Amino acid sequence: MSTVMKIENLQAKIGDKDILKGLNLELEPGKVHAIMGPNGAGKSTLSKALVGHYDVEVTGGDITYKGKSIRDMEAEERALEGIFLSFQHPVEIPGVNNAYFLRTALNAKRKHEGKEELNAAEFLRLMRDHLEMLGMKSDMISRSLNEGFSGGEKKRNEILQMLILEPEVIILDEIDSGLDIDALRAVSEGINKMKDGKRSFLVITHYSRILDYIEPDYIHVLKEGKIIKTAGPELVGELEEHGYDSIEEEK
Amino acid sequence: MKLSDLKDMKVEALLSALNVKGREALAERFVTLGLPSKKSETYRYFDAETLFEKEYKTLDYLPKTIAESEKIIITDGVVTAAPKGLRIYTESCEQIDMEHFDPLYYLGHLLSPQVIKIEVDGDVELDLEHRFTQSETLISYRIVLYNQSNRHATLYENFVADAIKNSLVLYGYDMHIAQDSTLNVVKLQTMQSQQYNMVASNRVNVAKQANALLKSFDLGGEQGLQILKVDLDTRAHVEAGHLLYLNQDAKRGTVSQIIHKGEHSTSKQEAKNILDGKARGIFDALIRVEHAAKYTKAQQNSKAILLDEKAYMVSKPQLEIYIDELEASHGSTTGQLDEKQLFYLQSRGISYVEARKMLVIAFANTLIETVKDARHQERIKEAFEAVFYAAHQ
Repeated sequence: MSTVMKIENLQAKIGDKDILKGLNLELEPGKVHAIMGPNGAGKSTLSKALVGHYDVEVTGGDITYKGKSIRDMEAEERALEGIFLSFQHPVEIPGVNNAYFLRTALNAKRKHEGKEELNAAEFLRLMRDHLEMLGMKSDMISRSLNEGFSGGEKKRNEILQMLILEPEVIILDEIDSGLDIDALRAVSEGINKMKDGKRSFLVITHYSRILDYIEPDYIHVLKEGKIIKTAGPELVGELEEHGYDSIEEEK
Repeated sequence: MKLSDLKDMKVEALLSALNVKGREALAERFVTLGLPSKKSETYRYFDAETLFEKEYKTLDYLPKTIAESEKIIITDGVVTAAPKGLRIYTESCEQIDMEHFDPLYYLGHLLSPQVIKIEVDGDVELDLEHRFTQSETLISYRIVLYNQSNRHATLYENFVADAIKNSLVLYGYDMHIAQDSTLNVVKLQTMQSQQYNMVASNRVNVAKQANALLKSFDLGGEQGLQILKVDLDTRAHVEAGHLLYLNQDAKRGTVSQIIHKGEHSTSKQEAKNILDGKARGIFDALIRVEHAAKYTKAQQNSKAILLDEKAYMVSKPQLEIYIDELEASHGSTTGQLDEKQLFYLQSRGISYVEARKMLVIAFANTLIETVKDARHQERIKEAFEAVFYAAHQ
């Protein structure tokens, strides 16, 4: 089995609280991995640890990406290398124009890859199709970043960033929270468009609803800071029926 | 000349030391208010004494031939260029405010009995460039600005210094904003490399139904103080915006008094302060509503971001109110960059330095975007970025 990202015995804490307690997980290229688990299991801490969030202190274990440890890498380096987190609660940044932000991020990535930066006109052409597919009004990119956006608009904007930056490992933290059916469909369409047999997805979710739209290859159950079970998509039905308490840790 | 020598001088001695005749009332006001020191209310947070202890060369300010130019250029206190047809001339100043709170307003008039008068005709936009070419020199001049009733004029001010060192600039305006007119003044000033320090002492008289829109963008290091006294007549309006973006060990800011004298007068004062390094920002601003100024509306707000633990903000918004029939509010906040916002930008591959720049410009943008002219707005952003990158090399 080839692996794009390998998480080995990962231990991490937020403040004084140990949250991840020896988590192991391997992401295969081109596969959709769903992480499910009850509240407080460590799902969001895992996503933060993978992108180098300042809240999380990794106290043990390692994360390797394409064979290289990223444990001590800064957040922006991880992003430039192709790791993307769609935030559960994207932050509002008044005064930072959305289009300017997107172009700055894209050009930082292009520069990192040795490509020429895009000018404003080239960038807007690139944006047009993505906006249409996501059902986003064109004025959303001329507004301040996430400021005054509804929950659905914020999530669509996260997916827009994903489409533009074309990352290789995509972590979706509760992407379906706060979305109505239309928004969920649009967001899922954006995610499915990114499936190319090479990119890996780590879908973190409480509920199975999003998995009706983004078909997972693997389901991992996260409980008390560890992955306690890994199985195919059939595990979703079992979880729906019996809940997380029914799952015993695999030896 | 050493300005500290003027400390505690009597009127006659002062006039003699400055070689000025017939200006006893001004000298009396200066002597009464005293040479600024740490004990002076206006200069409490500004290290004026260090500037006054230095020995400076002085200049003659002899009028020169004025070259035709697209902009007004004042070189070391003398007009050297101006647009064709503009009424700009040197003359003694008669309309001096005898109730100003700043001693350097009076010292400026004593040092500059001849002032530069500019009469702004019609709905125009003017550029004014202040140039400084002399090291270790006291450069002192004053400008009197008039506009016309029912007209909307804009003055864009900027400052250029040669490779000079340690000069002190004392300048300032007496602005007379005519009834039913609007005067928009946008000042952009980057100070750096110990070229010069400055105190700008201004008086703005806003006539009935007139509007004063005063925006200052003060960037970089050094010591600089903008002193502002604004008198508002009936239904007059002032909108004052002050952006400070300071680094190194700068000490700069605004000390102001906006005085509502007429009914239905309105004021809105907003300061945005971004302080890096060991910089000290000053916003010491009073709005006074006098007995006659019923139905006044006054707003005052200061926000500061400290980018370094050694940076320091003095923020003193104050209201002094003598009537009940008004709406007034003031506030002040000081904080740091939001680490959630910073992380969000970095998580998209934007470098720490670039992310910080985006956030500080975002903070400043509400003031920068009040400058409607795109070319000047771009100049302010470019100056801002230049100072930012110089500090982050």
